[in-house]
Amino acid sequence: MKKIDETRLKNIVGEHNIKTDPSDLYIYGSDSSVHHAMPWAIVRPETTRQVQDIMRYANQDMIPVTARGGGSGMCGQTVPIQGGIILDMKRMNKILEINLKDVYCRVEPGVVDDDLNLALKPYGVFYPPTPASSRIATIGGEIANNASGVRSVKYGATRDAVLGMQVVLANGDLVHLGARTRVEASGYQLHKLMVGSEGTLGIVVEATLSFVPIPEFRCMGVANFDSLKDAGDAIGSIMAAGAVPSMLELVDSVAIKAVNKTMNLGLKEVAAALIFEADGMVQEAVDYEINKMKAICKQHNGQDIYASYDPKEREKIFMGRKKLFPALSKYDDNLASTALADDMAVPYSKMAEMAEKIHEIADRHHIVMTAYGHCGSGCMHTKILMDTRRKDQWDDAKQAITEVYDYVRSVNGTTSAEHGIGLSKAASFKLEKSDSLTLLASIKKAIDPHNILNPGKLSQAPENWVTATNLRYSVNS
Amino acid sequence: MEKKTKDFKHLEKWQSTLANCIRCGYCFEHCPMFKHTSWESDAPRAKIITAFGLLSGEVEPSESAADKMFSCFFCGRCEAACSSGVPLTEIFIDAKKDLVEMGLKGPGTTSTTELNCARCLICVGSCPHDARFYDGKGIATDPTKCQSCGICLDVCPAGAAKIKNDFGTNSDNLIERAATFLDTHESAKAIIFACNWSYYPELQASLLPESETRDKGYEILVNMCGGRLGAHLLMAPFLHNAWGVMAAVCPDGDCRHDGNLRAKKVIETLRNTFKSIDINPERIQLVQIPAGDKTLFQAEIDTFIDTLNQLGPIR
Ligand SMILES: Cc1cc2nc3c(=O)[nH]c(=O)nc-3n(C[C@H](O)[C@H](O)[C@H](O)COP(=O)(O)OP(=O)(O)OC[C@H]3O[C@@H](n4cnc5c(N)ncnc54)[C@H](O)[C@@H]3O)c2cc1C
Ligand code: SF4
Ligand code: SF4
Ligand code: SF4
Repeated sequence: MKKIDETRLKNIVGEHNIKTDPSDLYIYGSDSSVHHAMPWAIVRPETTRQVQDIMRYANQDMIPVTARGGGSGMCGQTVPIQGGIILDMKRMNKILEINLKDVYCRVEPGVVDDDLNLALKPYGVFYPPTPASSRIATIGGEIANNASGVRSVKYGATRDAVLGMQVVLANGDLVHLGARTRVEASGYQLHKLMVGSEGTLGIVVEATLSFVPIPEFRCMGVANFDSLKDAGDAIGSIMAAGAVPSMLELVDSVAIKAVNKTMNLGLKEVAAALIFEADGMVQEAVDYEINKMKAICKQHNGQDIYASYDPKEREKIFMGRKKLFPALSKYDDNLASTALADDMAVPYSKMAEMAEKIHEIADRHHIVMTAYGHCGSGCMHTKILMDTRRKDQWDDAKQAITEVYDYVRSVNGTTSAEHGIGLSKAASFKLEKSDSLTLLASIKKAIDPHNILNPGKLSQAPENWVTATNLRYSVNS
Repeated sequence: MEKKTKDFKHLEKWQSTLANCIRCGYCFEHCPMFKHTSWESDAPRAKIITAFGLLSGEVEPSESAADKMFSCFFCGRCEAACSSGVPLTEIFIDAKKDLVEMGLKGPGTTSTTELNCARCLICVGSCPHDARFYDGKGIATDPTKCQSCGICLDVCPAGAAKIKNDFGTNSDNLIERAATFLDTHESAKAIIFACNWSYYPELQASLLPESETRDKGYEILVNMCGGRLGAHLLMAPFLHNAWGVMAAVCPDGDCRHDGNLRAKKVIETLRNTFKSIDINPERIQLVQIPAGDKTLFQAEIDTFIDTLNQLGPIR
């Protein structure tokens, strides 16, 4: 392990904002992914100035620096595979301005998504990208991952909501990117380049975000299907018909069974269900969208179709989807729910085929996989349930995800729709972007010549990461 | 990495449960320790990671690792919020048992006894978890039983019972925070003390712009358990011109430490004292809030502030 100058770091952030005890380093060595690696120190800056000073030091001594928000990344984005400093951004947690006249807010990167929405709510507005992890994910982490969520089908992903930002570069310089205006055509849109860069191009220290009014009316509906194909076709038709759902979710039979088995929800065990929602300021407009979606579901043999404005009914409809996570974790005591290939996107018309493919591949490799997700945005989620102690299960899982991704790329889909690449998905990412890898590398080199910002991720990730080594699980050989 | 399993006979049975924690971090916002320090090492997930590391041999059973396992107020909120049904506090207790056998005792948030202990045994009788006992020399705490409710601190007449690692929950700290709020906000009227159950966490880790908080009329301070609401804590805000003080605790039967019953008694006594010195007893109130019932809690606060507005400041 390379030596870091603790005294110098203490002088920058103060004695109480650095940790180097192995028990702390171990904790900060993992996130919500399957990976683990030890950092050398955790440092918590409070000001932009401190971030600049830390970067100057790290750049000079060539020490890797990995920014960390809530540590909810699912692909090992914050796992420091080359060691170095973890820059814990949670102390930069101020909501700086809520500007109703110019319709933007300014925040520090450690602000938690739910906290921002809590602060915006009294003004009747909300920040829409909101991933399912909004109670822990920070704005910095969401920007770095281009996070999105159930309502992104209507309101867009983080990239659509970021107007501008301040970023500290690898050499410690501070740059102001983007603007505080809705549109900008002043040269390269570098703030958009930062979105999704997974901490490899700079440290976001402030962001200017747009927000939208909270809709007056919300109506949610559900339709059951006897075949995955029908459900998939319904999704395609809804989107092609120009309907504007504020949510369009698919859950498959494995997911429904899991929820029934562990939560006793008594959902009808069909091949697939679609949950759809529309929102707006005028009820007639919402009715129009809902009726359109109901009719399309019916055309595609949807059954038990119904929709409601009543918050209690809506909650009931969404319960199965909401309880999916815990249900998968409790599915079987010997099976853990792992995030490996969990958020690919395919064109709408391939949604059904994709779901079927996932089941077929899982069966062949003796693991359990489920298909669900934000189908309105083309995003399919899967979870792999397996016995993490068995090495052969890891090999099976690895083979299965390779096949899933081969399929995704063969239909012009993309490796990640919302969780990012990090380590877990690098193999498929590199194949998908094979003709632009050199371009990516030259951008990285121009901005971070010493390769100190979150090194070893994205196209730099090691080829064979998903093996039984460096996993956060104990694997018997 | 080579993994050596150490002798963790109590923790061992949780091996597959530990792998079931999906590390989502949904437990963060519920934990008063994390909210106080915002270090991930203090969040519930960190303890699950540590327990996992202890079992797999990747974490040495060191004093600092033990300090993490022994720091918990056993509010159980993480457990209730866990996306994967991980029984966190049961795992913590088993980890503590193994660590104690290895000679590691925290203390973390375990209560300890200072030398000025009068050996009156009041704490021994008051501890809801039978954790305090006379060991032949003085009063000791069984660290595997202590759930850091803080009741012994409050009943101890000598001030000898202490929780050293208090994460901002000790009375001195709360009194100071109440005073700062009252002294720096012109519109300040009330302090609301809430246990970690009755107050569903709002802003967990972010700070609002100053313009948003300038006109705040009240401050909510989480004190962990109603059992820790001593008279001196409840009265302190009045010295800084508070118009009233409200305390929120769990409904009857819901408190793991029966701290709500103690709180009821303390507040009843204070209300009688208020009456006797001609101060309207409505200025000090107790409400019981089922876990997570934000709407009820807000309604109770609004009613309380209305009452205070009618009463005006204390002359
Ligand atoms: C249960 C669960 C559900 C999830 N659901 C969704 C979902 O619906 N949609 C979705 O998009 N994602 C989801 N995620 C993934 C994850 O929560 C998001 O990617 C989120 O944006 C990560 O935020 P974070 O603050 O936890 O970032 P971290 O995990 O801490 O970091 C993620 C990346 O951001 C970088 N980073 C963090 N802060 C900064 C900064 N200030 N400057 C530069 N880089 C920075 C890090 O270096 C790292 O590369 C989910 C995760 C979990 C565990
Ligand atoms: S029981 Fe309470 S104090 Fe203990 S880890 Fe869980 S949330 Fe934190
Ligand atoms: S909520 Fe449960 S599953 Fe999620 S990190 Fe906490 S203990 Fe683990
Ligand atoms: S009264 Fe509470 S804090 Fe004191 S020893 Fe008993 S359990 Fe621990």
